[in-house]
Amino acid sequence: MATSPPIAPNPLRHGLIEDRTSDACAAVIFGASGDLTRRKLMPALYNLAWGRALPGGFAVVGVGRRDKTDESFRAEMREAVAGFSRRKPIDAALWADFERGLSYVRGAANEPATYESLRTQLQRIDSERGTRGNHLFYLAVPPSEFGPIVEGLRASGLVAPPGGERTGGAWTRVVFEKPFGHDLASARALNDAIASAFHESQVFRIDHYLGKETVQNLLVMRFANVLFEPVWGRGHVDQVQITVAEEIGLEGRGRFYEQTGVTRDIVENHLMQLLCLTAMEPPISLSADAVRDEKVKVLRSLRPMDRDDVALHVVRGQYGRGIVHGDEAVAYREEPDVSPSSNVETYVAMRCFVDNWRWSGVPFYVRAGKRLARRVTEIAVVFHEVPRTLFRAAHAASTAVGAADGGQSGMTPNVLAVRIQPDEGIALRFISKEPGQQTVLREVAMDFRYGMAFGSNTPEAYERLLLDAMRGEATLFTRRDEVEAQWEYMDHVLEAWTASGPPPPPVYPAGSWGPVQADELLARDGRRWRKP
Amino acid sequence: MNPSAGQVLGRIEGELRAFWSSPPAPGETARARACTRNLVVVAGTPDLADRWVATLDGVLQTVPARAIVVGLDPDAADGLDASATAVCTRGESGGPPVCSERVTLQARGTACARVASCVETLCATDVPTTLVWLGRVHADDLLFAPLARAADRIILDSTQGSVADLAHAVRWASARPGGERPGVADLAWTRLAPWHELCARMFDEPRLRGLAANVTRVGIVQASDAGTALGSEGALLLGWLATRLSWKSTSLAGKLRLVRRDDGPVRAQLGAECSAQAPRGTLFGVQIEASAGPMTMTGAIRREQGEADAAIWRLEVTSGSETQRIEQRVRLRASELAPLLERTLRRPPHDEALVESVVWADGLLGEELACW
Repeated sequence: MATSPPIAPNPLRHGLIEDRTSDACAAVIFGASGDLTRRKLMPALYNLAWGRALPGGFAVVGVGRRDKTDESFRAEMREAVAGFSRRKPIDAALWADFERGLSYVRGAANEPATYESLRTQLQRIDSERGTRGNHLFYLAVPPSEFGPIVEGLRASGLVAPPGGERTGGAWTRVVFEKPFGHDLASARALNDAIASAFHESQVFRIDHYLGKETVQNLLVMRFANVLFEPVWGRGHVDQVQITVAEEIGLEGRGRFYEQTGVTRDIVENHLMQLLCLTAMEPPISLSADAVRDEKVKVLRSLRPMDRDDVALHVVRGQYGRGIVHGDEAVAYREEPDVSPSSNVETYVAMRCFVDNWRWSGVPFYVRAGKRLARRVTEIAVVFHEVPRTLFRAAHAASTAVGAADGGQSGMTPNVLAVRIQPDEGIALRFISKEPGQQTVLREVAMDFRYGMAFGSNTPEAYERLLLDAMRGEATLFTRRDEVEAQWEYMDHVLEAWTASGPPPPPVYPAGSWGPVQADELLARDGRRWRKP
Repeated sequence: MNPSAGQVLGRIEGELRAFWSSPPAPGETARARACTRNLVVVAGTPDLADRWVATLDGVLQTVPARAIVVGLDPDAADGLDASATAVCTRGESGGPPVCSERVTLQARGTACARVASCVETLCATDVPTTLVWLGRVHADDLLFAPLARAADRIILDSTQGSVADLAHAVRWASARPGGERPGVADLAWTRLAPWHELCARMFDEPRLRGLAANVTRVGIVQASDAGTALGSEGALLLGWLATRLSWKSTSLAGKLRLVRRDDGPVRAQLGAECSAQAPRGTLFGVQIEASAGPMTMTGAIRREQGEADAAIWRLEVTSGSETQRIEQRVRLRASELAPLLERTLRRPPHDEALVESVVWADGLLGEELACW
């Protein structure tokens, strides 16, 4: 079969540096009545419009079960943007332009008529707004609807052949929200269903953590500076601690959480991604596959755990009553839609090992939990102590976070902490001499804060990710083998818990840093958790 | 007796140190200092410097810097005045205010020649320096060269000066050794960014890509009165189109002639929109026509009257007997100085398209425009 030659690039696009935009296209949001659309997607699109990052003629078609007119959908979205956009107040003139591209199609995921209506609507938009058949489908729906929607799109001919845009044809891309499966088998089944309609190059599995500026900056920090890479490994690093802590409880998501727990909600995806970005080797380029290849290598290097290992290296917990931010908080089992005898974990701490040359023997302590003392996500690289100190006698009171005994040298180790949220930034802690006649040492920190250096109005993760998906840039999205490798590792843990019928997870008071067993996990290694 | 320049600078250095060394007084909020660059603004008159203070304070809200605003008055009696202040913005999540520093210098008479030395003394160390030069650029200017040599980036505003000034700065920078070559930027060029994007949009559709090599006519309209010359925005846009599409310029009987790479002619029509409500000299409209075989395309962008930040973008494509029309109302970026300077600062320092376009546009004939 003869293939069409690639089309020539647009010479007027060459060297354009300010307005990063995509081909003209329409976005179709399944789940247009949902929380994600109101809180994240529509404000992100509005902010992209504000920043002139959307292509000309851009249109959004909301698809949902509820009966709505285009006008009522627009009014609802305006209210959502007014409430949740980072730019306030809403710019009336900008909104007037933006909302001309908004329309609504009513229908259920499993009804062929939905896709017929959608096709008609998209044809009209392509003709009137010049979107040329380029369509981004965003599945902001529960995973149970992924399969029917994928099949509906395929059956109704709404999926363009992959790579058509290179020869002047239209493109189709599809974005999936997490959770992507609930174990390895279900993730594979889901991937198979998607592969029946879409080529992998058309599939964008979103992990919104990857859209955060600081997460992206982790790659820049590691690979655009000569300073860090030589010390980034077992020769200089004693341990790595990754924390994803939330203050909030379930916020009305009791039914969802009972199905997932923190392991599936946070650890399997966000936390594993942070671990990958921390541990990966330099990619040969910043192309999507080069970066994702390196992340997959990390996931495949994770030391698998059998049941005994899980008991030894993994701690679960569930929050009980407590005080968070000065307010009383109910126990997990007292939350709405949660079983009073639920054994679902709201906290997990793990000791992981990346068995490759760089990280051999360096423990990665990772933890995630709800109702913890404060909301913080950070990666802390704790370096070895100095081999011999000259200053032991005059060392000031320390707040050691490395060795539990304050270390052999009596001095606290250097720590490089990458703060993902809040107060995004990077801090390097080191020892300095206090001014004075005596040699008194004290920990100090060089503290870089994004908000201070670049202003606080940084783009939301969804803005970056939506634009990347429209542009077909997949670096910040997870690939099939990556998702499956994440599940393969976590399945060992989940299976061990299921098979052994574990006792109820230990209860930790809401507002604390988790169960004491998590402290013991590190204490056995002579270390302790940071209090970030 | 007036204090010496050294005494003035010593006082300012002391004040800057005092901002950050003194603990907050009881009841006073602690402040955090941030500085990512030196931002040196040199204005040809004290009035112009005063007007830029508010602009800079706006920029410092999002670009923490040590700003040094210099107002020059070479014809006045000798003297140097200076003051320093902190410009603070509300901290994130209830954190302490984040403060930049702004130093203002007024140099009069012979003190103007010593401003480069004063600026060097006052610049924060270990951060890049951006020079915003608000005036003409002369080859033998005693101040431009030393300030530019100390800068990592030079920003001009060719709508206030001219394309020739910009071209001079570009050539001056190009002549510097590689490692010391500052980037050159232009506020007018930044203002043009949405126009670049909208012109590029005309050829985005794959079937229209080939037409980019077959442009037959280009029309550029600026808001101005009849008889004025093409301003820097129009000239730079034309330069950009010409260098992207490999056009050559010639003249015939004093009139501009453009020739495509295939030697086909491009009719250039430059005009003035005399009734435009936009500021004089600003770009008001662009029209591009192209044809190849049975396909013709006309793309047009036109500012909305009375709405400086919006334009109508139109595309009409005829292929055989079929005609497709698309019309979109688009927002141009706001043209206020503070966001414009901020966007310019955030652009990559070296912009090859700017350099090529400036060099091309500098050779344009000074045609007088007639009402469109």
